[in-house]
Amino acid sequence: MERLTWMLTRMLRDAARLLPPGRQEWAEAVQAEADLVPAGWPRVGWLAGGLWLAAKEAEIMRKVVYWLGVGAVAAAAAWAVWLSWHTSPAADALTVTDRVRVLVGVAALALMPWVGRRRGWFGPVGTSVTARLVRVAGCAGVCGLGAAILRMDSHIHGGPHGPAPFSPAREITAAVLLGVGLASLRVVRARWPQLDASTLWAFTGMTGAVVLAIVPAQALAIIYVAGTLAATSRRSPVANASLAAGAMTGLAAGLGSALAGYELSTPDDRYVDLIFLSIFAAALLSGTLAGAAASWLRSGTEDPDALREARIRQGLLAGSVAGAVAGLLLTNFFAIAFFMMLLGPLLGAVGGALGGAIAAAHPRKPRPARSWAAGLFVRS
Amino acid sequence: MSRRTAFSAQTLAVLTALAARPSDWRHGYDLARETGLKSGTLYPILVRLADREIVQACWEDGEPAGRPRRHLYRLTRDGLAAATAALAAVPAPAARAARSGRTARPGRPGRAATPRLAREGP
Repeated sequence: MERLTWMLTRMLRDAARLLPPGRQEWAEAVQAEADLVPAGWPRVGWLAGGLWLAAKEAEIMRKVVYWLGVGAVAAAAAWAVWLSWHTSPAADALTVTDRVRVLVGVAALALMPWVGRRRGWFGPVGTSVTARLVRVAGCAGVCGLGAAILRMDSHIHGGPHGPAPFSPAREITAAVLLGVGLASLRVVRARWPQLDASTLWAFTGMTGAVVLAIVPAQALAIIYVAGTLAATSRRSPVANASLAAGAMTGLAAGLGSALAGYELSTPDDRYVDLIFLSIFAAALLSGTLAGAAASWLRSGTEDPDALREARIRQGLLAGSVAGAVAGLLLTNFFAIAFFMMLLGPLLGAVGGALGGAIAAAHPRKPRPARSWAAGLFVRS
Repeated sequence: MSRRTAFSAQTLAVLTALAARPSDWRHGYDLARETGLKSGTLYPILVRLADREIVQACWEDGEPAGRPRRHLYRLTRDGLAAATAALAAVPAPAARAARSGRTARPGRPGRAATPRLAREGP
């Protein structure tokens, strides 16, 4: 027991050094009081509480989760590079195409933490656990998607757009278009600052559509990463409850669709219509459920019309999240289903708006306010 | 969306202990014994209260013989007013729970009593 106490004392002393200057005295205070606590388990408990304080104040858990996420993304990128170099056939044109795309993807992944931490549309990440989890899972999903496409390519010896010869001009054009698409928005905002948000969004949409038509796989991956970062940033219009509802229903719909795909697939494609129907229905239904939940969970004291509008908006956003999650997950299982990455959010948005409108017409009864035990202050 | 800010039951327990002798400087172990809170709960609460200038903290003067200097706490003038208002707004069962540092609903760990301070959040 003495050894354990000594060890915890040392750990607390070391942990205090990790804290910001204004916080160090608190860990030292716990340590100073430890001698007053009866020796044995009470003192061990006291010192362990001090370590917990240091962990909270140094945001150690947050840093651990962040670096685990970065490590997972780095491992996925390394695996994708290895897969491309190791399993592809001889260095023909198609292999070179894939390798160029892999390297572009890895470079984009390396930029992601920088973009995600800058203050703006994409960062920093929201303070809730939901936002962090969705951000990490979304980026991991996009990495998985890259690996799924690579794996498919290594089997059928074709690029993401089917067999096509390697064209340096095409790849350079694609990279330039992506860069121009991203940079032009900033130029437009700087040149015409009086433009309203809807015009900017319309401009972004048109640029995205052009890029999407030319390089669908890369554009979709970038759109998904950008969408994940935007939806989980502090400035995001997606409420936490909507994000959680969308992610959970989308996860269920994606897994359900993948299971249906496995169960119903036959060599003669007898049930292919049924598979498509179940996939579309799952995206729509998950969007509706997420929309209804998000709308129902949205509370407020503004006037009824504004509240109803806000509820439907949250329903639409939650539905889009559900459809996107379902589409991404399904594409991870069947790379051929990557059309669902486009259709999923659209179907989900339609379902979400519908569910949101239905739930907005039936608001829940107000419940008595409650507080949670662990926090100092409770918000409701 | 409207936001209200309330103190948790554990925070009210700390405020109750500090408000009982507002002019006295109290140390952490003393507060832990009185409220029944563990150090891992008590100190984060004290940190947040100090951040909000409800509690002031300082180190003991001089070098006491045979023990390290203690970190001491007491309510600020505004803190005393806030604590008094918060404790007055707490329903009786919750106030008893706050004084004992326990939750009001035994058998539902993690759910605190429902004391709320009618104060707009930031």
